[in-house]
Amino acid sequence: MVAKNLGLIFKYFNLNIRKAYQYKTSFFMSIIMMICNNAFFIIQWLIIFSVTDRIGNYGFEEVMLLWALSAGTYGVAHVFFEGAFNIGSLVYEGKLDVYLTQPKSVLINLICSESSISAIGDLLYTFIALAIAGAPWWWYLAIIPVSIVGGIIYVAVVTCFQTLSFYVKRGSSIADMINSAVTMFGNYPPIIFNSVVKVILFTIVPCGFMIFVPAENLFLGFNIWWILGMIGFAVITTILAFILFKRGLRKYNSGSLMGGRL
Amino acid sequence: MNKYITVFKTGFKQEKDAIFDTLMRCIIFFVIMYVMIQLWSFIYGDSGTSQIINGYSLNSMIWYLLIGECIINSARTNKIVRGISNEIKTGGITYKLNKPYNYYLYTISDFMSKSAFLVLFTVPTTIIIGLVFVGVPDGFVWYTIFPCALAIIMSIVISWAMYGIVGLLAFWIQDATPLYWVVSKTVMLLGMFFPVDFFPTWLQPVIKYSPIYSLMSGPASLVAQFSWENFGRVIMAQSVWLVVILCLGLLVFKIGKRRVASNGG
Repeated sequence: MVAKNLGLIFKYFNLNIRKAYQYKTSFFMSIIMMICNNAFFIIQWLIIFSVTDRIGNYGFEEVMLLWALSAGTYGVAHVFFEGAFNIGSLVYEGKLDVYLTQPKSVLINLICSESSISAIGDLLYTFIALAIAGAPWWWYLAIIPVSIVGGIIYVAVVTCFQTLSFYVKRGSSIADMINSAVTMFGNYPPIIFNSVVKVILFTIVPCGFMIFVPAENLFLGFNIWWILGMIGFAVITTILAFILFKRGLRKYNSGSLMGGRL
Repeated sequence: MNKYITVFKTGFKQEKDAIFDTLMRCIIFFVIMYVMIQLWSFIYGDSGTSQIINGYSLNSMIWYLLIGECIINSARTNKIVRGISNEIKTGGITYKLNKPYNYYLYTISDFMSKSAFLVLFTVPTTIIIGLVFVGVPDGFVWYTIFPCALAIIMSIVISWAMYGIVGLLAFWIQDATPLYWVVSKTVMLLGMFFPVDFFPTWLQPVIKYSPIYSLMSGPASLVAQFSWENFGRVIMAQSVWLVVILCLGLLVFKIGKRRVASNGG
């Protein structure tokens, strides 16, 4: 079953990329501009580190590691599962019907149905940031599974919040807020946040498990229990996302729209 | 002019229906500012209030960031770029080209109305965050509110005019969104994140004579460290740039609309 779903995810990815590649200029421009967009923040951090030597135990290289992890998880989530970020609007507009008739899991079909092309730039930026950080060779390998697990956590939590749209009119706005918070908090050294914020970062805004745990317990230090905790959190949030989506689907009202997917 | 005021009023009424989204945007604004305040409080250290970095105390630095973020949030520049870009890409613009108004000015008026409604929420949010975390700006006197408000309003108007041009570039590049990322990040980096004094001396005059100063650095530094001399400089720069950018926008639209090819009936 897992293998079949993996096959479906990659098939969707392949189709989405080929579809977007029809507009070659737009395709490459989106990727390059996203890399430039991320690269701007290097200058921000260079200026910050010109007025202070370190932020706690974080110097410029460590901050670049956070950026690499952040770009990796964001990239995986948006390249492979962009549909998860649109569940709310599809539910609100009654446009889920077309997914309900598919032979495979509705949720998998839905979240894999779109790919963000610009997020490919994020995936590439992961390795650029590591190069800027002067990373040892094994970081380049280790960041791949870490980004996948982090991306799964990100998508699972966003999906959980998107399912609020089955119950309240503007549920997707809350999911969008969580989405913004993840990208905002994840790029800053965790030491600047107080303990109340840290609790939030390890629960509803999951950048604690997505970014800070692997950064401090795999790349900068080593603690197997935190790594296992990250994997466990990914499993729990994924199961929760499937359960909440299935329950929410019972409340869904069709918009009776004629639709097709190409 | 009356037709653009009518467009403004209509857009303002429509925006009232999106109150939930507006409130959500204010919460996101709070989250962003909270992170920035935590970061700078950490940098300034426990004795922050007495420490000065490049002429800025913790208080003036936070107010600088707050005003910059307030302008960005109020202007919602991504909306105007995406709006114009999509209309050009999908051909929807053809329905508006034969109307008795200039599309560029119409779009600015329409998006300004949305912005005006949002300002009613973002400005109080800005003031509350500032007062709670760092108190009133250093050297604050009540009557400086008016010149500061004027500078902020001018900067939002210039934002719409400038990002309207970015959207119009979709006439040539199909989708202006990636270009928007680069322009907006340049404005954020050189204007919002840091005051002009934080940059190398060779770069400071470049920023001061660029639209970024009128958009961001000028009004933000005015609130953080008010002086009448600074006010005169900011308003002068904003007036010049507003005229230049509006003329440029009208010119870009005039050239760009020749590229529209409409088919069908």
